[in-house]
Amino acid sequence: MKREVKVGLFIVCTAIIICVALLYLANEKGFFARNYTFTLSSQSGDGFTEGMPVEFSGFTIGKVQKLELNDKGLVLIKIKIPQKHLKWIKIDSTFTLYRPLIGAARIIVTTDNLKSAALPEDKIPEVQIVNDINDSIEKVQPLLDKVTQIAENLERVSSKIDVMAGKADVHVFGSEGTMPQVNKILKDVNGKLERLNPTVDNVNKISTEASEGLKDIGILRSNVDDTLNAVEDVAKGVDSIISRKKEPEIKLP
Amino acid sequence: MVILENIGCAVIKLINSFADIIYFAWKILIRIFNRNTYTSAMRTVLIDQIYFTSVQILPIFLMVSIAFGSLLIGVLFLQLKQLGLTQYFGHVLMGLIVTEFSPFITVLLITLRSGSAINTEIAVMKVNKEMSALEAFRIDVINYLLVPRVINGVISIVLLSTLFSVVLLGSGILFSSLIFGMSIDAYSNVLLNSANFSDIIIALLKSIVFGFFIILIPVRFGLQASHELTSIPIVVSRGMVNVFAAILTIEVLSLIIKLF
Repeated sequence: MKREVKVGLFIVCTAIIICVALLYLANEKGFFARNYTFTLSSQSGDGFTEGMPVEFSGFTIGKVQKLELNDKGLVLIKIKIPQKHLKWIKIDSTFTLYRPLIGAARIIVTTDNLKSAALPEDKIPEVQIVNDINDSIEKVQPLLDKVTQIAENLERVSSKIDVMAGKADVHVFGSEGTMPQVNKILKDVNGKLERLNPTVDNVNKISTEASEGLKDIGILRSNVDDTLNAVEDVAKGVDSIISRKKEPEIKLP
Repeated sequence: MVILENIGCAVIKLINSFADIIYFAWKILIRIFNRNTYTSAMRTVLIDQIYFTSVQILPIFLMVSIAFGSLLIGVLFLQLKQLGLTQYFGHVLMGLIVTEFSPFITVLLITLRSGSAINTEIAVMKVNKEMSALEAFRIDVINYLLVPRVINGVISIVLLSTLFSVVLLGSGILFSSLIFGMSIDAYSNVLLNSANFSDIIIALLKSIVFGFFIILIPVRFGLQASHELTSIPIVVSRGMVNVFAAILTIEVLSLIIKLF
């Protein structure tokens, strides 16, 4: 295939895609369709913007064309609906301004009876307002109150703890508090312990001497034991002499 | 004082460079809208340029579009599902992917491939005195060399970014079915509801401006090459830096226009 043909094919094909896509979009968006304008009213224009989508069952069927303020102070909202979506707008349709927490605000059309008569262009239904932000705030308000109460209680407890801590500080660290007295006692005890040191030395000395004395007593005791053994032997001898005599009686001089 | 002098010099240089680009753009625009520009030689060059920039890279471009587009759409849809923002996927797809990402990615790809090539080509021609040779033969360099390249940039960016959008929307059908369990009818309805005619027109205009400047700036910097070979990398790098600055500026300007 020649280079020129390839380029031509590429340009024509892509240009056709662009044109078809734009035409299809324009057609679907109602660029070539006849539009009908309905007027809605509201006490406040808060939340309404020009170009805001008008939805039916989640699908955009039109948009807000113009916002006006009439002589009675009512806000008039003019919505533009293409002919193909006209079937969804009936005389008993309700119009609600929905302001979600996330995303853009929109007007939602609800029609319970699709067999009802079409909404005349000169009739002005009122728009109800549903505000997710305000609803959420209302739901969260009791919780916020409780949180505030808890915070206040915590503050009260905290101030009490502060007072108690102050008092404890005075009792423990004050001039008449526990800590200075404990320090004083400890100093006394320390002084007494220092005075006890010579006594303890003396006791140690006595203990050493007593230990040495005990060694002497051991030797003495063994001597006494030996003497007693000797006395016992003598007694046994005396006893054997006495038992051999006819008259065991001894006459002392 | 030296610092102030340096700052002053830099600002004056920037303003001069900007004014130079705008003056050059004006010169090219006048030639584009002049019927006498479109000679048979110029048309041949234009066809060649479109062939090199768009047709030759079409298979690779489509593959990149499918891979990148599928990845982008898949990640985005998953995130929307996890965040519970499923109802906004149409707005994200049309408002972000089609009208913002498609021209941006396309312009980046074309700048990397063709912008740098054109910058180098013009600089080499300048160094080799080919421009002087053409002028010696009384051939209008702007009509013969520059205008076809700039027109090629506009046509290529508009057409390729449209193709990129089509591929992305095609990937969207697959991923909306896999992730949200959505039928093709529901998908098209969501897209139609989210599509904003003015956004698409702005995206097309943005593509035209992108295409114009991403070729015009490299051409302008290529012409600034001296007759030394060492000037080629200098003008190419300066040209590419300026192209990326221009892309960001155009993006910001389009966002500001959208706000109003």
